[in-house]
Amino acid sequence: MADTTPTKRLRQTPLKSPPNTPIPLTPQTLASPRRSLRFISSPAHSIPPANTPVNPKPTRSKSAVTLNNNNNKKLYGNDSIKDDDDDVIYTFSPISPDRTETKKKRKSKAENTVDRVNARVSETKIKIKANTKTKRRVYYKKVSYDGGEFSIGDDVYVKRREDDSIEDEPEIEECRVCFKVGRGVMIECDDCLGGFHLRCLKPPLRAVPDGDWICGYCEGRKLGKDVKLPEAPEGKKVRRTAKEKLLSSDLWAVRIESLWKETDGSFWFRGRWYVIPEETAAGRQPHNLKRELYRTNDFADNEMETVLRHCYVMSPNEYAKAENEGDDVFLCEYEYDVNWHSFKRIAEIDNDEDEDEDATHDDDWSGDEEDSDAELSDDMEYEEEEDRYTAARGSTPAREAAANSRKGFTFGLQKIGTKRIPEHVRSHKQTELEKAKATLLLATLPKSLPCRNKEMEEITAFIKGAICDDQCLGRCLYIHGVPGTGKTMSVLAVMRSLWSEVDAGIVKPYSFVEINGLKLAAPENIYRVIYEALTGHRVSWKKALNLLNDKFSNGAISSKDDDRPCILLIDELDLLVTRNQSVLYNILDWPTKPNSKLIVIGIANTMDLPEKLLPRISSRMGIQRLCFAPYNYLQLQEIIGCRLKGIDAFEKQAIEFASRKVAAVSGDARRALEICRRAAELADYRVKSSTSLPKTGKSLVGMSEVEAAIQEMFQAPHIQVMKSCSKLSKIFLAAMVHELYKTGMSETTFEKLAQTVSCLCTNNGITFPGWDTLLRIGCKLGESRILLCESGASHRLQKLQLNFPSDDVSFALKDSKELPWLTKYM
Amino acid sequence: MPSIAVNTPSPHKRRLRSNSALIDNPAVNNTPSKSSSPVKSKSARRRVNDSPSTNRANVNNNNNNNNNNNNNKLPVKKLLDSLLDKPIWNPTESGQISAVKEALHASTAQSMVVCREEEQKRIVEFCRQCLVEEMAGSLYICGCPGTGKSLSMENVKGCLDVWAKETGGQLPDVLTINCTSLSSTSEIFNKILEKSQPNKKVNGRSAPLKQLQHLYSQKQQSPDAKMMLVIADELDYLITKDRVVLHDLFMLTTLPFSKVILIGIANAIDLADRFLPKLQSLNCKPTVVSFRSYSLDQIIMILKQRLMALPFVVFQPQALELCARKVAAASGDMRKALGICRGAIEILETELREDTCTSTLTSMVRVDHMAIALSKAYKSPIVDTIQSLPQHQQIVLCSAVKHFRKGKKDTTIGELNKFYIDVCKSTLIPPVGITELSCMCRVLGDQGILKLGQSRDDKLRRVTLQIDEADIIFALQGIRFFRNCLQ
Repeated sequence: MADTTPTKRLRQTPLKSPPNTPIPLTPQTLASPRRSLRFISSPAHSIPPANTPVNPKPTRSKSAVTLNNNNNKKLYGNDSIKDDDDDVIYTFSPISPDRTETKKKRKSKAENTVDRVNARVSETKIKIKANTKTKRRVYYKKVSYDGGEFSIGDDVYVKRREDDSIEDEPEIEECRVCFKVGRGVMIECDDCLGGFHLRCLKPPLRAVPDGDWICGYCEGRKLGKDVKLPEAPEGKKVRRTAKEKLLSSDLWAVRIESLWKETDGSFWFRGRWYVIPEETAAGRQPHNLKRELYRTNDFADNEMETVLRHCYVMSPNEYAKAENEGDDVFLCEYEYDVNWHSFKRIAEIDNDEDEDEDATHDDDWSGDEEDSDAELSDDMEYEEEEDRYTAARGSTPAREAAANSRKGFTFGLQKIGTKRIPEHVRSHKQTELEKAKATLLLATLPKSLPCRNKEMEEITAFIKGAICDDQCLGRCLYIHGVPGTGKTMSVLAVMRSLWSEVDAGIVKPYSFVEINGLKLAAPENIYRVIYEALTGHRVSWKKALNLLNDKFSNGAISSKDDDRPCILLIDELDLLVTRNQSVLYNILDWPTKPNSKLIVIGIANTMDLPEKLLPRISSRMGIQRLCFAPYNYLQLQEIIGCRLKGIDAFEKQAIEFASRKVAAVSGDARRALEICRRAAELADYRVKSSTSLPKTGKSLVGMSEVEAAIQEMFQAPHIQVMKSCSKLSKIFLAAMVHELYKTGMSETTFEKLAQTVSCLCTNNGITFPGWDTLLRIGCKLGESRILLCESGASHRLQKLQLNFPSDDVSFALKDSKELPWLTKYM
Repeated sequence: MPSIAVNTPSPHKRRLRSNSALIDNPAVNNTPSKSSSPVKSKSARRRVNDSPSTNRANVNNNNNNNNNNNNNKLPVKKLLDSLLDKPIWNPTESGQISAVKEALHASTAQSMVVCREEEQKRIVEFCRQCLVEEMAGSLYICGCPGTGKSLSMENVKGCLDVWAKETGGQLPDVLTINCTSLSSTSEIFNKILEKSQPNKKVNGRSAPLKQLQHLYSQKQQSPDAKMMLVIADELDYLITKDRVVLHDLFMLTTLPFSKVILIGIANAIDLADRFLPKLQSLNCKPTVVSFRSYSLDQIIMILKQRLMALPFVVFQPQALELCARKVAAASGDMRKALGICRGAIEILETELREDTCTSTLTSMVRVDHMAIALSKAYKSPIVDTIQSLPQHQQIVLCSAVKHFRKGKKDTTIGELNKFYIDVCKSTLIPPVGITELSCMCRVLGDQGILKLGQSRDDKLRRVTLQIDEADIIFALQGIRFFRNCLQ
C-alpha cells in the first residue's frame, strides 16, 4: 500500500541486470500491480551501474554450463561467495536418492544437461521443449549459483542496493568489545543482539549461562544510565553482519518460491518477501522478538544475481530448538497482508490451504488469491498457460506428496493414493461443454459481478463517506438478505476496488479485518481475533477486550501508524448474539466513541435482527441498512450468461428455463449455477457416450438436460428410491396402497398385508415369495424409512404404515415397465 | 405534526401517511413562516387534520392544539432568525460537508449538554453534598437509550472540577466503568480496589470484595483518603442469577466508613426496586434520577446547538422540525435523530452528484430529503421483503394465512404442505416436494417471517407466523396472482 511502506518504496528492485542484458519481458507482465509498481519505480532511482563485483556475463548459454565439483562441500564460505559467475551448475531432481551418482552421470553428459533437466523435472515438458527449447523458461527445483545451492523453499538474503558489496559481509560477527573475530566463544545479548567474547566481558564468563543473558551495556541503558559503547579502534571499519543489515532494513530477506532460467540464459527466482516488524503498519510492538520477521503475501521476480546467501527463517517451534545454529536464524510466526495490513498465523493458513500452496506462489493460477482479479486479465495465450502450469506443478515442493511429481519413486506409504494423471488430460483441448462446466463451478471467481451494481455503489459510498473525511467518523452498516444473493461477495468486491484506489492515492489507507461468526468457537473470541488481526499478537479474549477498549474508546495510540481507520466486516452477525448481548454491544459501541475510527459492516440473513436486539444496541447500530433481495429470473439469467460469456454451450431457452425455475422457488444464485453445471455434465456425458456416431455440429445444452437436472435437484429422493427398488418391494408397496384404499385405515398389520400380496401374486401369475422373504422385504423398506414399522418381535402382528403420502407411492410405481399391472390396484 | 404519528397497525398505512405528510408539509411550512398571527397557522394545522387519515393521535392533538400552538411555533421562529444572519452552505465543498457530519456525529462531545440542565444539577448537587459531608451515597440514573445519560456524566465531572477549584473542596477519584466491557461481573471490585489503592499490589489471598469491605468498615488511618466517585454504565449487565454482585456493590456504600459515591446508569426505570429489595429495608435505597425521552422542542434545540457552531446554514428549519417531530413521537432517541440528519445530507449529496446544475438556494437540506431519510429509518421492510420473495415462498405464506384464518395459531410443516399443495393445485402450479418446502420454511424463518419450532422430524416442526397477517395480505394483494387465493 502506497504510504505505509515508504521505506519499501525506496527499495529499488533488486533486479540487477547488466546493462547489455535486456530485461526479460515476462516477469513484468506477470507482475501484480504492486510488483509492477516496484518495477516501474525502480528506474527513478537509477543507480550508476557496474561498480559491482559482478562482471557482465558474456554468454550464458548451454555451452557455458560446466561442473563444479566442490559445490556441495561448502555451501557458503567467505571465499566461495564471490566467484566467477559463469560457473553455473544445475542441480535438479530434489528427490534423487543418491546425489553423487547423478552428478557423475552429469559429468559424462555435461553437454545435454538442460535436456536432462527437463526430463527429470517434468516428463511432459520434453515434447514441448523439443521444438521450443530456446523460447521457453526452464523451471528448476534446485540451482547452484555462485557456489551456493538454492532450492525452492529456501530463505535467502537479497541485496537492496546495487553497491551492496558482498565481500565485506562477515560470516562471523565481531566482538563488540575487542572488534576482532577471534576464536573464543561468543555470547549474544538477547536485547541488542550484539556478540561478545566470553573473555572480553567484565567480569569474564566461564561458560555460556542458561536462559536469557543481557549485556552490561543494555542493562545500564535500561536503568537509565548513559552508556558508552566501546569505540572501534582507529582506522578499522566496523563491519555489520547480514543479520544486522537485515534488521536495520538495509538488506532484505526473501523466500524462494520458484526458480527458472530465462530464455536469455539468466537465472531468475520468484520470491516472497519477509518484512521486519518496523516495516509493518503496526510498527515494532513490545511483544516482537528481536529476530522476528513477518512473511508477506507480496511476491517479486528477481534475478539470482541479487541473492547473497542463505538465512534460516523458522517457525516458533523450530526456532526454540535452534539454539546455536548461527547468526542467520530468524523467527516467523505470522503472515502479514500487505494490502489489508492484517496478520494471520502461518500455521492456520497452512492448515486451511495446504492444497493451495502452489496456487499462492503462482498467482496466475490462483482463483482465490486476493489480488488475482487484477491478474486474471492477463491475456496470455492459452497454450502458454498450459505450459507454465505443467512446469509450475512439476517444480513445486508442496506437491511432492501429490500426484505425478514423484515420477515413479516410491517412499513407503506415500505411494498410496497418488495417481498419475494421464497425459492426454492436460494436452486435451477443452470442449465448449467442459469449459462451461469449469466456469459454472461455484469456486470459480467470476470476472464481474452483475446485478448488484446498486448495492455495491451503496456500500462504496458508505465506506468512502466514512473514510474520505479527514477525521474518520465511526459508523455501522447492516446488510441482510437470504443466502446466495451475493452479500459477502459484493462487500469483498467493493474492498478490492477500493484497494486499487488506495494504491492510487485517492482514498486514505485503512486496515480491513474480515471475520466470519461461524468460524468463532465462542462469540467472545471475536475480541481475540480482531486484536490479533490488528497487531499480530495473540492474547486471551479478556485481555484483548481490555486492549481494544483502550484502543477504541479511550483513544490510546500505541504506535506511529495506528491512526488509520479500520473496517471490520462481520459475516453472520447473528451468531454473535449472546445471552446478555454484551459482545454486540461492545462492538457496536466503539464506533460511537470519538477517535475510534472504526467502521463496522455486519452481514446476516435475518431481516429484523436490529429490532430483535436490545434497544440500546439497535440505538447504537444506527439506521444504515442494506437489503439484498432474492434474485429474479432476469438477474439469474444475466448472472449465468455473464459466466458463460464467450462459451457457446447453452441454448438460450435452457438458461431461461433454469433461472425461472430457481427464481420461483428460492432465488439462490448458487443453486441456479449448480443446475446449469449439472445440465452441462449431463450433456457432456451424452456427447461422450455417443462418440461412435459422427458428431453433428455443436452439442448444446438443451431443455431436456436442464429439465433432468432440475428433476434431480428438486424431486424428493423418496420417489427415486421407490422407482428403483426391487420388483417384490414394488409389489409390497402396491399392496400397502391397495390395503389403504380398501380399508381406509393408514395402519395395517403384516398378516393382512401378506394376504393381500399373495392375492395380487396369484391373480397376476407370479409365485408368492413366501413369508420369510416378505418379512425381509418389509424390514428393508422399514430401514429406508419408506415404511414405518413397529419395532419388536411380533412379526405377524407387526403394524405397518406408509411414511409418505399414498399419492407419491402410486406416482412412483405407476409407470414401472416390469410390472404394468400394478396400476390397476392403485 | 399530528400526521406523522407512528403507533399505527400496518406499515402500509404508515407509509401512506408519511407520504401524505410529505405532500402536505411544504404547504404547511410555507404559510406560517412569517405570519405571527395564531389564526393563520391554526388554519394550516387544520388543513392537515382534514386529510383523510384520522386516528387517535390526531384527535388527541386536536384537543391540545391550542395549548401546543405557541410552543410549537417558538423553535421554528428561532431557527428562522438564525437562518437570516448566516449564509447558506455550499455542499459541493468537501470541507463544509465533513464539518457538518462531524458536528452531527454521536461521538462529538458538546461543551455543554442542553436540555439536561435539571438532571445534571441534581446529580452535581448530590455529589457535592456527599463530598462535603464525606458521606457515601448511591445514585441511580435511568432513561431510554440515546437520552444523553453517559454524555451528561462527562459534564458532571467537569462541574465537580470547577466546584472543587472554586471552593477548595476535595476532588474525588473518578472511576468510569462500562459494565459490558468487564470480562466477568465481579471484576468491578478489582477495578475499584485498584483505583482506591493504586500503590498497593492486589494480593490474591483474599477476594477483592472482601478487601474492600474490610477497608471501608474500619476507620481509615490516613485522614487524607479521598472520596471515590464510581460511575457504572450499563449497570444491568451486573445482574447475575443471585444478584450478589449488584447487591454487594450497593452495599459498599452503606458501610460505616465507606468513601464510595456510586452512580449507576441503566435503561430500566425500576432496576433498583426490582433487584435490590434488601436495600430498601436497610433504608439506603439509591436516589433515582430519571432521564426522560427528549421532546420535540428539546430535539430541535439540541440539533440547533450542534449546528450553531458552523458558520453556515445547512438545514431548512422545517426539515429539522420534521425530523424532530418524528423522532420525538417514535422514541426520543437522539442518536437516531442525528443519524437521520446525516442520512438526509447524504441524500442531498447524491442528488447533487447526479444533477450538477442546481442553484445554491436549493442546496439546503429540504423537507423532502428529510422525509426520504425518515422513511428509510422508520419504514418497516416487511412489505417490500414479502413482495420480493420468490413465488413459491409467497404461496407458502399465502397458504399459511389461509390456514390461520380459521383461528388456529400454529401448525406443522406436514400440514402446511397440504394447504400449500391445495393452493398450488387451484392455481395450476406444480408444487415442490416436502423437502424443498421445509427448506423454504427455513429460509423464511431466517428472515424472521415464520418461526419454526424444534423437532427431530422435519414434518413435525411447528410453524407460526412471526408477522402480522394483515401485512402479508396487504403485500400479496399487490400481486394479481394472489388476489383470488386470498378471497
